[in-house]
Amino acid sequence: MSFGSRYISEPATTKPGYPLTIFGRILLTIAFALIQTGAFAQPAKIYRVGLVAVGTPDTGILGAGMARDFAQRGYVVDGNVVFERRAAQGKPERLPGLIDELVAKHVDVIITQGYPAAMAAKERAGNTPIVVTLSGDPVATGLAASLAHPGGNITGVSEVASELSAKRLALLKEAVPDVRVVAVLWNADDFGMSLRYQAAEVEAKRAGMTIVPLGVHAPDDFDTAFAEMTKKPPDAILMVTDILTVLNRKRVIDFAAEHRLPAIYEYASLTQDGGLMSYGPGVAAIFDRAAGLADRILKGANPADLPLELPTRFELAINLKTAKALDLTIPESILVRADDVIE
Amino acid sequence: MSAPHTRASTGPRRPLFQKYFGVLFAAVVVPLLANGASEGWFGYRDQRLFLSQRLHSEATSTADKIQGFLDDITDQLQWTVQLPWRDGMQERHRFDVLRLLRQAPAVLEVTLVDGNGIERLRVSRVDTDVVNSGIDRSNDPAVIGARAGRIWYGPVTLYAGSEPHMTVAVAGAREVNGITIAVVNLKLIWDVISAIHIGQSGDAFVLDRSGRLVAHPDISLVLRGDNDPAAARLKQLQHAAIAGGDQTAEGSNAESHWVIAAMAPVPGPDWMAFVEEPTSEALTQIRATLWRTGLLLLVGALFAVLLAYLLARRMTGPIALLEKGAREIGAGHFAHKIDISTGDELEGLAQRFNEMAVELAVSQERSERIARLRRFLAPQVAELVEGSDQESLLDSHRAEVVVIFCDLRGFTNFSGSAAPGEIMGLLQEYYEALGAIITRYEATLTCFMADGLMLLLNAPVPCPEPALRGVRMALDMRAAVRALLAGWRARGYSIGFGIGLAKGTATVGRIGYEGRSDYTAIGSIVNLAQRMCASAEDGQVLIDTAVAEEIGEAFDLAPLGIRPLRGFAEAVPVFSVTPPNVDAEALPAAE
Repeated sequence: MSFGSRYISEPATTKPGYPLTIFGRILLTIAFALIQTGAFAQPAKIYRVGLVAVGTPDTGILGAGMARDFAQRGYVVDGNVVFERRAAQGKPERLPGLIDELVAKHVDVIITQGYPAAMAAKERAGNTPIVVTLSGDPVATGLAASLAHPGGNITGVSEVASELSAKRLALLKEAVPDVRVVAVLWNADDFGMSLRYQAAEVEAKRAGMTIVPLGVHAPDDFDTAFAEMTKKPPDAILMVTDILTVLNRKRVIDFAAEHRLPAIYEYASLTQDGGLMSYGPGVAAIFDRAAGLADRILKGANPADLPLELPTRFELAINLKTAKALDLTIPESILVRADDVIE
Repeated sequence: MSAPHTRASTGPRRPLFQKYFGVLFAAVVVPLLANGASEGWFGYRDQRLFLSQRLHSEATSTADKIQGFLDDITDQLQWTVQLPWRDGMQERHRFDVLRLLRQAPAVLEVTLVDGNGIERLRVSRVDTDVVNSGIDRSNDPAVIGARAGRIWYGPVTLYAGSEPHMTVAVAGAREVNGITIAVVNLKLIWDVISAIHIGQSGDAFVLDRSGRLVAHPDISLVLRGDNDPAAARLKQLQHAAIAGGDQTAEGSNAESHWVIAAMAPVPGPDWMAFVEEPTSEALTQIRATLWRTGLLLLVGALFAVLLAYLLARRMTGPIALLEKGAREIGAGHFAHKIDISTGDELEGLAQRFNEMAVELAVSQERSERIARLRRFLAPQVAELVEGSDQESLLDSHRAEVVVIFCDLRGFTNFSGSAAPGEIMGLLQEYYEALGAIITRYEATLTCFMADGLMLLLNAPVPCPEPALRGVRMALDMRAAVRALLAGWRARGYSIGFGIGLAKGTATVGRIGYEGRSDYTAIGSIVNLAQRMCASAEDGQVLIDTAVAEEIGEAFDLAPLGIRPLRGFAEAVPVFSVTPPNVDAEALPAAE
């Protein structure tokens, strides 16, 4: 701009009647043309995207996947988009402070993972647009008014209204037909997770199974739950996945292996970590959609006009190594529909 | 002279220029405009047609892709109706369904109905499987529809008012194979629709028959469900396209941009595939063509203006020059040259003008010379002198001449007492009478002063018997004045008339200065004639010896003896001429 204006101011300072040379005229013309085409315009805006998860750094939305999702949409990470990553390390009470930090950094959009992060953002982020992921059904939890018109400044990816816990229970039953008693591990402090437990309870009743409810509130509660399962061993475990259970997944997987208990989880990552099987929406796809919504918001869309999206793909993952360790033969009817088979 | 002249010359000139200019301009511009307009119009029509065809083919291609998406699903569904429902086949059917769910990610739920219309299996991605529910689905529209047409497409429904779904039913080749009913998540068409790009920024979308948005690159728009203003604009576009028959439709798209859209039916589910391209972008080519035509027209018109101006100036410029020349020549500036070198008739005309000016100059000069000669020569003599180009006659030389003097007696007294009008009136009569005679005798009038006249004969033009001629003239003059004298005397004027003639050698030639030259004779003979006149009494015509000798017997001469004349050392013999039949004594003598 200053280059251009140097040439603009020149004729103004020349004395009246001073003949502008042809060369000067050409320069002037070029300068105007450049200014008009924006060659000297301000550099492109740098977008700031806040990423908040309840869990650990470098996992979930804080991992490398989100950067890839943005890069796919034409952004240059650490170029015209800068991520502000905040992890609560499993301590939801830290979330309000993290949200405040992001607001202080004037982020253009906040992407959250997990219901507590979404809730904290809704409460403290003011007008900053929020894209929620893995927060259950935002309509059911009151984060949004409806799928089509979420209202406010929240949009994101919802989970299917019908809780998949029943489906998981049925798949577990199909994989291991002689399962009768299923221990359900879930974060009893999380409303969304409690809904999932209830769905499992209903299905168990319908399918003639017994549920052992093992609600946990803190990492220490897992020992209590393990003790309970050791005392009265169930036939299998269903782990409702939230940040509390995910942070303690290793202990659950190890306990299941030690006690030769088949277990079903929600996300394929847990099967890769050694869980027997999992069934749930494709997380990578969910994060990709969240990046898509954030992209729309960065480009000026009003989050209230961006409907909440439902996951379209559900992944069934089986870890045959774990199955072998448990001396289980996974029936064809499960294998035929498995999206991810770990051998 | 000048005011009407100016009006007459500059007034009509402009219209002539304008006429020429107008005609020449029109001659170039009218064909140019006609050509440009027709070219522009036909170009526009062709391009519009081409655009319409292009969009239509894009729309058809989009419809094919959408139909292809659905065909993939129905093809997969076909695999589940290959086997009949017999005992022990339940598990085979179930495996078909599980494989289907793996192969067709858009299928959310599959329901198998046996040949009797009884629901045998329901498998969902979300809900738990239902086996042999025994529900009678024979009246389900999907079952009826599939039975009637092998493949049945249900209406588009919105899950939770947001995500579009559709039920598709496929019937087996045999009735015992039953029917498969699948719920398809239409959100997955996004993969197809978002990959379609029309031009630079155009895209495609799909509406069902009722105008509900089924697929759009902006998935949020689809998920916003019914009563969305953006979707309503697309519905309007659909109305416009249906109303316009097979033509393209123009209107606002979801982003409120003005677009041209074309429609093609998706036959299976009775949807409509649209492609849209921003009007500004779609018409870029057309606009460029029109601009080009317009620019050419403008350049042509400017050229026509220039051409017409130059030609009109070429036509009217010489005319103006001619007019100016005519004015100059009219004003007497014969030296003015009209300089036109157009090489055409106008140049010829200018040459005629120039020649005319030269001729006029010559003619005027001649008439001026004649006028000058006529100051002292009789008109016929003047013509003769001028015409014969014998102006050398006027050169000074010595010649034998007859000098005649005449004047009135008692005029000095009369002029002293009479009123100016009377004096001038008298002189007028006097000179009129004498002038006619002088002219008749072709005498040269050298000068006149008040009542006195000096005449020459034989100079500058020689004449035969000048003395005789002079005497005759003198007698005629005497007779003419006598006729006047009678009247004058009746009015109480006491006036007489005398003439003196002398013949001899004198120096003749022009004297005077530029523009005022007279012809005269100088020599003693002139003095002699003058003295003769002075000494003549009223009614007398006195002549000298030379004249008397020449006229000889022609007239009666009365020798008056020798008279001493002033200025002459010796006395001179004087004769009086008496006309044959006029009694000199009959006139009363003047004072």
